[in-house]
Amino acid sequence: MNNEPTPEGLEALDSINAELPTEPRKLPSGIRVRIRGRSINLRGLKRPPKGLMRWLLILGPGLVATSAGNDAGGIATYSSAGAKFGYQLIWVMLLLTVSFAIVQEMCSRLGAATGRGLLDLIREKFGIGWTLFIVGIVIIANGGVTLSEFVGIGAASELLGVSRYISVPLGAVLLWYLVIYGSYAKVEKIFLLMTLVFFAYPVAAVLGHPDWGAVARGAFIPTIKWDSDYIFLLVGVLGTTITPYIQIFQQSSIVERGAARRHYGDEKIDAYVGSIFSNTMSVAMIIATAATLYVAGKHDIESAADAAKALEPVVGSSATAMFAVGLLGASLLAGAVLPLATSYAVSEAFGIPKGVNLDFRRGRVFFSIFTALIILGAGIALIPNVPVFSLLVGVQVLNGVLLPIILVFILLLVNDEGMMGDLKNSAVYNFLGWATFAMITIAVVVMLGGQLLDLLGIKLFGG
Amino acid sequence: MVMFSKFRRFEIMDENNRRAKFSDLSVALLEGDYPPVTNLFYQSDKKFMKLDWREVKEIDWKKREIKVSDLNAAEEVSLERKKEYVLLQHEILDALILDLQNRRSIRANDLQLEEIGGRLQLQAADTSFNAILRRISRGLYNRISQSGLYDWKYVEFLRGEPQAVRSGAGYHLRITRLSTGEIAQLAGYLPYLHAAELITLLPDAKAAKTLEVMPIERQLQVFEELDEKQGVDLLARMAPDAAADLVGLLQPKTMRRYLEKIPRRQSERIIELLRYPEDTVGGIMTNDIAFLGEDLTIGEARNLIPEKFSETDFVHLVYIVSDLKSRCLRGVVHLRNLFADNEEKLKDIMDPFISTLNATDAAKEAAYRVVESQLAAMPVTDADGKLLGAVTIDAAIMHIAPAMNAEGLRIFS
Repeated sequence: MNNEPTPEGLEALDSINAELPTEPRKLPSGIRVRIRGRSINLRGLKRPPKGLMRWLLILGPGLVATSAGNDAGGIATYSSAGAKFGYQLIWVMLLLTVSFAIVQEMCSRLGAATGRGLLDLIREKFGIGWTLFIVGIVIIANGGVTLSEFVGIGAASELLGVSRYISVPLGAVLLWYLVIYGSYAKVEKIFLLMTLVFFAYPVAAVLGHPDWGAVARGAFIPTIKWDSDYIFLLVGVLGTTITPYIQIFQQSSIVERGAARRHYGDEKIDAYVGSIFSNTMSVAMIIATAATLYVAGKHDIESAADAAKALEPVVGSSATAMFAVGLLGASLLAGAVLPLATSYAVSEAFGIPKGVNLDFRRGRVFFSIFTALIILGAGIALIPNVPVFSLLVGVQVLNGVLLPIILVFILLLVNDEGMMGDLKNSAVYNFLGWATFAMITIAVVVMLGGQLLDLLGIKLFGG
Repeated sequence: MVMFSKFRRFEIMDENNRRAKFSDLSVALLEGDYPPVTNLFYQSDKKFMKLDWREVKEIDWKKREIKVSDLNAAEEVSLERKKEYVLLQHEILDALILDLQNRRSIRANDLQLEEIGGRLQLQAADTSFNAILRRISRGLYNRISQSGLYDWKYVEFLRGEPQAVRSGAGYHLRITRLSTGEIAQLAGYLPYLHAAELITLLPDAKAAKTLEVMPIERQLQVFEELDEKQGVDLLARMAPDAAADLVGLLQPKTMRRYLEKIPRRQSERIIELLRYPEDTVGGIMTNDIAFLGEDLTIGEARNLIPEKFSETDFVHLVYIVSDLKSRCLRGVVHLRNLFADNEEKLKDIMDPFISTLNATDAAKEAAYRVVESQLAAMPVTDADGKLLGAVTIDAAIMHIAPAMNAEGLRIFS
């Protein structure tokens, strides 16, 4: 080889080396470790960031899942609670925060301890019958709620001056593109950024100049009214806050994020922070509408868009805009989370490859379910006069039936010592978990019983 | 042939007309390609009873009865002892199984049993939707889709418990027929405990190579589920750069323990790589490369190959250095150049015109240089020209193409 003539402009290695810079690049300091008696400075160890960044990086599935619960339907329920009963239902939210955090944390723990989603575990431990029952309800209920999210996107954009015929297809394409082409890490980051829109609600609450003394009384002095509207709203608030798709999504995303049982801890913080953040935003919605619409005597709110519109004559366009921005962001977030939760549930139930990290070739069924729900949701939302309210009532009934069942399964699974090992539920958790189950079951029985009696023309409560 | 979903509804009856409700069947998983049924289980007064399959006299397919000689011959099985058996209903039905023919994981929706030579054996797993319909219709729907049936000979059954392998549970090890890349891809579809179980049951050499090609986060999840002895064995067999990436994620105490337990030579290589931050050339290079002194003849070099490079990670290119002590890089030869039959010295046949990378340079720029150079690897030197390692094209692509990180690319090393 070296017999060939040297090509022009090239020099042999010796001469190149002679010209190499002798000053090496300054390297960051590493961690000094003593190995086999030698002290060695290792710079290649991957250490988690410190300070604020570390805390921000903990946030993920917990915050996303719980925030997605504050969707268009949630905003409508909380706004209605504020408009109809002022601050009187805030105490329920404080109580619910504990239950919500407990349930979400148990799902996180199940995901980290087993590496499996909720439907994976239900299929393996409780068989095909229960699995099909749950998956069937999840598909129908989540399909209905997804539609309501796209209706929410349309309504919010129109409040901000953009036609729904532009915003709904655009939102659908953006969400689809994000999930199909994005990695899990990227999708999670964008979802986390989307949760920032919820800060619009505290701003709207402050703009409404609430009576903070009354807020405190509403928060810490429980009020019970034997009034059908009050009872149904209380049940509605409960059902809106703790919803099956939130648990399914949280556990599946914990699994996809790669949480492991040996390092379980950060996920717990994420679940707690998410639940507290989400319910704080719900309280802000109640305060915003209580301080304005309730005081002004506008008590009947059917949707989140109604609430935003009703705010305008009372506090001006800024609060309306804040409400609309919040609704748009919340609907977009839930518009992606709901189809994803459905895709996870179906894939887990049937053992099909799942995950945002897959490409379409390997995750055909997973992405097809996601795509179908997005197309159906956005498509139907563009049809004029879709009876969203009646649809949501039906969905609420389905979710109501499903929630106690899901809670029982979560509690049974999280107490399976063989599977959970050290991460099995403690006695305190079991007490709080079963108390939540009892509370939810009573609420669901009241809701379903009330609706049934209503159909028969019998009034359960006064008012 | 009978589907297990149907068989579950059979009644057990003995010669004295005593009846019992069928509960489960156990199989000897390792006995042949098609595991034979070994025991019949039923429940009596909330007790789990076991009856040896040899007690079965006849299966009346029409009356759906399993005729046994004497139900009193059954023995009670405690919950603890129940774990010793591989139960079709309890363990295999609804579990994730590996379909090795199609390289995918899927749930066993039903199981096909066949009576051959008086023995009932597990013949196939039914993964079709028809199987689900059969189960929920409780016999009203009986269609069997042949395309959904997977011959048990090509199925690997996992329990989702890495400790099951350690406690001596049986496995066919059919999975070892697949390439490491295919096993890693299959493991990617599985929950991490199943993936750890898969790695635990593989022979160490294959397990190490499989672990290398898994995404790094999955590597860590799986590695932490292995027992320490296997962890040490795998780290010792992994390419040093892959091992360094994995070790770099461990807690400092755990990392130190492993580095002290693996063989010194491998430990030194890993430590050398861990000296560089991950965003530098040193952070993505391998130092398990082939290099020879420039004064050797081709014949001498060829003789050294089996002794020196039989376990070297990257051997496609052989780097030529001034001498083995100072390791000052002089040039490079391709492995095939060493098959020439002559007594020429390496320094006479080497290519001295090679681009080098500095270990402290930025990794991203260096990765682009390697890819653009169209070389299998580019050598890495320190400021004095001492050969430290090489950045392979695989490592370069993995560094600049995040999508490729989903499955590690390790073709040249």
